Amino acid sequence: MKRWSILSASVCLSLGVLGLSVFDAHAKPPVAQKKVEKAPVDPKAEAAFREQAKKLTSGTELDKVLALENTERGIKADAMPVVDNLTFLRRVYCDLVGRIPTNEEAVAFEADQSPAKRNEIIDRLIADERFVDRWTVFYADMFRLRAQADGGGAALAWVHQAIADGMPHDEMSRRLITTNGKAGAAPEVAFVLGDNADPMILAGVTSQVFMGVRISCAQCHDHPFDVWTQENFYGFAAYFGKTQRIENQFTRTIYAKENERSTVLWPPEGKAKPDERKPMKPSFPFDTVAANETPEYIARFNALRAKQKAEREALLAKAGEKGSDVDDLLADASENEQKAKGKKQDDAITKQAKQDAKDLNIKAGLYVTSEWRTQLAELVTSPRNRFFAKNLVNRVWADLVGRGIVDPIDDFSDNNPPSHPKTLDYIADEFVASGYDLRTLVRLIVSSQVYQRAHVYGLAEQDQQDLEKSFLATPMRRMLSETLYDSIITAGHLFDVKHSPGKNMKTTWKLSQMVKPGTGRPGLALTAMKFEQKMAMNGPEMDREEAAPGLDLEKGIEINFGKVLANAKKEESKVEVEEMRVMSKEEIEAERMRAQMQTQRRGVDYIDRYVKATFDDNPKFGSSLRMSSPAAPEHFLRVFGQTDREILGETRDHAPNMRQALMMLNGQLIHEASRVGEFEPMHAVLAEQKNLDGAIKLAYREILTREPTADEIREAKTIIAAQKDQFDGMADFRWILLNCNEFRFLP
Amino acid sequence: MGCLDYQMNRRAVLQASLASILGFSMRDLVALGGTDHTPTAEHVIFFWNGGGMSHIDTFDPKPGRPTGGEFDAIDTSVSGIKISQIFPEVAKVMEHCALVRSIAGVNGDHGRGTYQLQTSYNQTANLLHPGFGSVVTSEKKQLGDLPAYVTISGRAPKASYLGQKCEAYFIGGPGEKDPYLSFPEGIAAARGNQRLEVLEKFNGRFAEKSSNKELKSTQTSIDEALTLMRSPALAAFELDKVPTSQLNRYGDTPFGRGCLVARQLVETGVRFVQVNRGGFDTHMNNFPAMEAHGEIMDPALASLIADLAESGMLKKTLIVMLSEFGRTPKINKDSGRDHWPNVFTCFMAGGGIKGGTVIGSSDEDGYEPKDNPVKVSNLHASFCHALGIDPDKKVMTPLQRPFKLVEDGTPIKGLFA
Repeated sequence: MKRWSILSASVCLSLGVLGLSVFDAHAKPPVAQKKVEKAPVDPKAEAAFREQAKKLTSGTELDKVLALENTERGIKADAMPVVDNLTFLRRVYCDLVGRIPTNEEAVAFEADQSPAKRNEIIDRLIADERFVDRWTVFYADMFRLRAQADGGGAALAWVHQAIADGMPHDEMSRRLITTNGKAGAAPEVAFVLGDNADPMILAGVTSQVFMGVRISCAQCHDHPFDVWTQENFYGFAAYFGKTQRIENQFTRTIYAKENERSTVLWPPEGKAKPDERKPMKPSFPFDTVAANETPEYIARFNALRAKQKAEREALLAKAGEKGSDVDDLLADASENEQKAKGKKQDDAITKQAKQDAKDLNIKAGLYVTSEWRTQLAELVTSPRNRFFAKNLVNRVWADLVGRGIVDPIDDFSDNNPPSHPKTLDYIADEFVASGYDLRTLVRLIVSSQVYQRAHVYGLAEQDQQDLEKSFLATPMRRMLSETLYDSIITAGHLFDVKHSPGKNMKTTWKLSQMVKPGTGRPGLALTAMKFEQKMAMNGPEMDREEAAPGLDLEKGIEINFGKVLANAKKEESKVEVEEMRVMSKEEIEAERMRAQMQTQRRGVDYIDRYVKATFDDNPKFGSSLRMSSPAAPEHFLRVFGQTDREILGETRDHAPNMRQALMMLNGQLIHEASRVGEFEPMHAVLAEQKNLDGAIKLAYREILTREPTADEIREAKTIIAAQKDQFDGMADFRWILLNCNEFRFLP
Repeated sequence: MGCLDYQMNRRAVLQASLASILGFSMRDLVALGGTDHTPTAEHVIFFWNGGGMSHIDTFDPKPGRPTGGEFDAIDTSVSGIKISQIFPEVAKVMEHCALVRSIAGVNGDHGRGTYQLQTSYNQTANLLHPGFGSVVTSEKKQLGDLPAYVTISGRAPKASYLGQKCEAYFIGGPGEKDPYLSFPEGIAAARGNQRLEVLEKFNGRFAEKSSNKELKSTQTSIDEALTLMRSPALAAFELDKVPTSQLNRYGDTPFGRGCLVARQLVETGVRFVQVNRGGFDTHMNNFPAMEAHGEIMDPALASLIADLAESGMLKKTLIVMLSEFGRTPKINKDSGRDHWPNVFTCFMAGGGIKGGTVIGSSDEDGYEPKDNPVKVSNLHASFCHALGIDPDKKVMTPLQRPFKLVEDGTPIKGLFA
């Protein structure tokens, strides 16, 4: 992300100055239906390459493929060693479940004597609930899902459920591309509604999000830097030509539906008389593996899907025999099977079958499925379309390793070739053969040495970059904003209250508007009360606004995914996402102003009064992974890089800025995390065991997942001793650890 | 439009911000635009009146017409210019002000109208255009310690592809202290500073073990934060020292306090201050609502203009008051007016504009532009003109699509002295 060099920018600038006409879009002769990728590499050569790789001795199969490819590329440098156990543990927790490990988890891992303990913890984390939460963020970023958009909350919940169920990536993609229906009720429709069901925009989005190829430029002219023609673009957009977004003015319902006639006409507007413009025939401009070839990975994929299909049909047949309700039977079957086999995969299949059965009902009734988009989805998600698997593989790889094999991740193009095409092919093949299973892909990457390698330092910048580009060293990565947030909560024991009740009573004075006695109706005062409650947004025991001004920029309201989905299933016309939205300060202010205006109109006099309030300052925080997203623009998560998910191609910006610094230095979250609560292990170590060394070690382990050196212990003692109260001293020390770069950058 | 008119994309700009530590100035890299005249304005105070402010009841009165409504038109300090009676004080400083009475808008929807009036572009689905405040921030150097772009009492549009450096700094209520600008409650200054000293040591040690440049920019961001936290300029956010008489002159309202803070901010060097205010969507009971708005806005706006004029700041401070659209000349059955984008008014003052000017006109009932229709982006091009910003300068989106800072606009003729 940050690797876009200033150099490339200046190169482009100079090209611009020269005004090279070779790129002139309109001077280019029309080329009909150019395909992008040549047929994949020679299968024989590929097979020979992989055979040769297998003979290497070190690492997983992935490591071997990469090592051989590096050798072929003439790379002679040595790889950095694999990191130690605790470093690995911290890295893999952050990447797979979005938070650092607790001290208890670290102790357990260190004590584990199994030689395969790294792979075992990977398996455990992949099966963890938080894996689903963490990777929902990944998908939400990729698909640009916005809780505030039409049906966006339901779409987030749906993706969450899909990941929980292990829905294959191709199935998830097919549903997003093809689904019509009502916003909120048919969760997948948020994908087309998010871009107003505009065919031109959806063409660019579909190509970029599912295949990593940028074709948007070709909307207005033949692509200046690539092979795309405007006709290619129109042909691709035509798949969405009959889709339309409808907003019912009467019921306020929003939905996507199919029309008889396509709105994508060729030639483009202005290039022909209106009556000469005819509906464009959909056409798929990407080159695919020829139908008469069946590479080994496709054979494996077909076999897997055939097996899954047979299992599903057997289940459905059983249902038919008994004549009972399909859902019940599937539920029974699922339970029995799980008991029998203890396998998650079966669960996914039954849920799939269940969903299919339900879909039949829904789709047969209200909405006509788009025939063209169904064709498109088949083409996009086919294992014969190499872009589809490579795109996701590359995105997941970039997320975990810190740099895409194709980088930037959304620019697969002849002008931006992959650094390691054979490695990318290998992982993509495995991903397809697994039936597009996200967990298999993640496991493949994080169990490799590539992922587990140390960072390099002390070299010249160029040398460091060379090592990182060859994946011989891992680049330093800052935690994802959500991971940073949840890690602060984890380190500070803030998922639950940590002080005993009444220990932190505080009194504040707050300016409050009150109805002047003798004016207005009592009902109005109620409105104001309701408003105050909205401002509170917190548990019953505490008024957040009074407790800590500005806290609303660090807290969020959790989406109850289950409830949202249940609402969607009931096909309620509206999913109440509004109530789950984080109210930012200015929204509150705007609301207050509106209230003010209303009161003025109704002739009610308000007076400002300072009101005394006492509250127990004993906060707890929820996981940011389940917050309504994207958060309000000034929120912690946004300041640390969560995008608004509006702009196509926008990636998370992890560059430090002043807002981040202010939030970390002065924010409530870190402040509360630093304070020592009586319910924390730290309290006992300090108060009962009176073991300062032990407390310092614990702080290091809880916050940085490592042991301190003897020097560091001495240094910590000085820091803690600077305060009269040892707990205050420890709070200072923990504040420093939480704020330091070592905390926010992955080891 | 060719993709070759390349300037700098957002990611490159970010890279540039890293490069700045290495001795390049980001401004040098970004400041590529040019104009052919000396800018007249250095600062902007941008009043955003959300909801769609009635043009007829404010700056484009239609006395005696069926659409004229309940307010009289009053004389101003400039002969021949009349405005609504709800602005008796503003009328007295009209010689500093200009009215563009012929904006030809196209969006009658709050969202789309707001988007266009704040960015100059029409809304599209997969792209966000930067707000005008961000454009100014990207083109004009920050002066002093305070952020170059501040929004008060409401949200400003996003900086989008201009990058996070061009986002507005948000303050809740005017005069309200930003909790993030001081140590958390219970942490005294001495203790907080001690923490920071140790933190710097820790970060310095960690940076030695890495060649990652971001580690150094974390320290830069902390230094920036501390500069701001410790800056005497922060007083510009506060109103504690403003005498009561002064507060009363502005009308002791959130809007009046917003104007006072805005004044203090531009005097301290802030480039762009957006003051937000809502409640203009007067579908019902338009007249009492507008009268109330007048009572709040009139003393504040007039005092602001008078004070800036007196201190000499008005010459280089462009004041703009805008809304997403005007309101229907026809008064509806609820004594309200509905959305009306076809013609409405922009109020301006200072910043090198020709005082006492009226540009264009609406027809006699206030339905359509009559003389000199002004398209929305011409407003933004005019603001650019005053600030010495090239509105046609192109910037790149993440997809390498070039966009002009302002959508095809030309400065309004006759607006500037």
